[in-house]
Amino acid sequence: MISDEALMLEFQGGSREAFEELFARYREPLYGFFRRRLESQERADDLTQETFLAVIRATSRYQPRALVRTYLYGIALKLLAAERRRERRSDPALQSDAVDSALDNSLWVRRALEKLDPSEREILMLREYEQLSYSEVADLLRIPVNTVRSRLFRARMALKNYLEPQPSRDREGAKT
Amino acid sequence: MNMHPIEQEELMAYLDGELPVDRATLAAGHLEHCRGCQSLAADLQGVSRRLMEWQVESVNQEIGAVVAAALKEPGAKPRRRPRRIWRWVWAAAGTGVAGMLVVSSLQLASRRQKMQLAGDQISTLQAPARARHAQSIDAISAARHFSEIMIARTAELTLTTNDFDKARSALEDILKRHSGYVGQLNVNAPPSAGRTLDATLRIPANQRDTAIAEIKKLGRVEAESQTGEEVTAQYVDLEARLSNARNTEQRLTEVLRERTGKLADVLAVEEAISRVRGEIEQMEAEKKTLTTRVEFLTLVVRLTEDYHAQLHMAPDSILGRCRNAAIAGYKSMVNGMVAVILFLLAYGPSLLIWAAVLFFPARFAYRKLRRT
Repeated sequence: MISDEALMLEFQGGSREAFEELFARYREPLYGFFRRRLESQERADDLTQETFLAVIRATSRYQPRALVRTYLYGIALKLLAAERRRERRSDPALQSDAVDSALDNSLWVRRALEKLDPSEREILMLREYEQLSYSEVADLLRIPVNTVRSRLFRARMALKNYLEPQPSRDREGAKT
Repeated sequence: MNMHPIEQEELMAYLDGELPVDRATLAAGHLEHCRGCQSLAADLQGVSRRLMEWQVESVNQEIGAVVAAALKEPGAKPRRRPRRIWRWVWAAAGTGVAGMLVVSSLQLASRRQKMQLAGDQISTLQAPARARHAQSIDAISAARHFSEIMIARTAELTLTTNDFDKARSALEDILKRHSGYVGQLNVNAPPSAGRTLDATLRIPANQRDTAIAEIKKLGRVEAESQTGEEVTAQYVDLEARLSNARNTEQRLTEVLRERTGKLADVLAVEEAISRVRGEIEQMEAEKKTLTTRVEFLTLVVRLTEDYHAQLHMAPDSILGRCRNAAIAGYKSMVNGMVAVILFLLAYGPSLLIWAAVLFFPARFAYRKLRRT
């Protein structure tokens, strides 16, 4: 299998097939990245699309010093930050579908994640869902690897406590 | 007193495949018998399992169409937010098309070299431990992808020639001209048959066609065969294993340099380094052999001389015949004498005994006959 980096270089050289292969590889992971961080499925679709369009626009700027995976999630993180800024400025009603989409099997996981400190939650999600290594997470968030490790540990231990079966408390939380 | 040789965070890093080899070995050993750490590991793994319960639906397939349109069709309609997407599509398509034209015209010549460099650079990037082997293979595959497929070729030629000596010297000339060399060569000259030459030749793969064509002209081709074995996967796998072994060796060396623990630990690391070094050398030898097999065609040539039986019609001279007769007479005389001596030596003792035994009865019988 050709590596992502070689595909990116092929795309820089003008190969559309190379980009299509990259698109096929990262379409679902990037969508998952946005979908787990945004309430709106539509916005997750949009931002996935915009990530790839940004790659097309910035083709010439890509340097094979970093992994394509890190490069893509770096773009995705920037788009996500911009989206969150926009959401804060916009009508709060946009976030109303959060309750509806939370009524599924992952309810407890989502609630537990929401209780985490944002910086720890981001590290945990990048590690667990995006399967990034400690050093890749450190590169993306521009923090030391040891910080990634300690925050990840804290996040996991906290999450373990939040995920402990506490039916009465969770029921109360669901009502609110 | 702390009974755990590794910290909890290190245990987590071990489960994530993020711990250096020496610490990972320590963690694995400790985890086998420490109930507390087993419990912590189970908790951490349980958290990961629970997180995996949150699965998301698949992405809307329409975005593929929009992205494809951005690549090739500026007029493609976006799925939603038309004005914004139109702008993206036009801008991206324009950038893409212009970029492709410029890049393809300017960089086409240097592309191959760039790809090779990329392969080297990629292999040095930091990668998660669990994906390191796969990444090495990918990087090498990528580098190889842009060069030709690796094929180890062998060929066999059986030729018959009227002029054996001339064919042999021509064969050596061809070999020299194409920068080849002889792997093995045997010449046989049986008394009642033509001479034969069996040779295993190594010829640079890029000159194989010309060389084979020239060798075929040395005589009548009785048999010819060619085979090719693709060894790209074998080579890539070997390179990946070699790369991993080198990384391991480097990390072990760093561990040894920084280590201040027990002597037994130091010896264990040294033993590991020695083992890895042996593996590296073995793999390097395999790689060299494989590369030689690819870069040089193995050509087995069997050259046979047409045999012509010799007929001598001229009679021998008289002097020669006399000389031969004298020699034959001398040989016959010597042989006769030797035969008599051998007979006497062999049967003489027995004859003497019988003569002694029979002498007196014979004399008695003879005298009695004379009296009558």
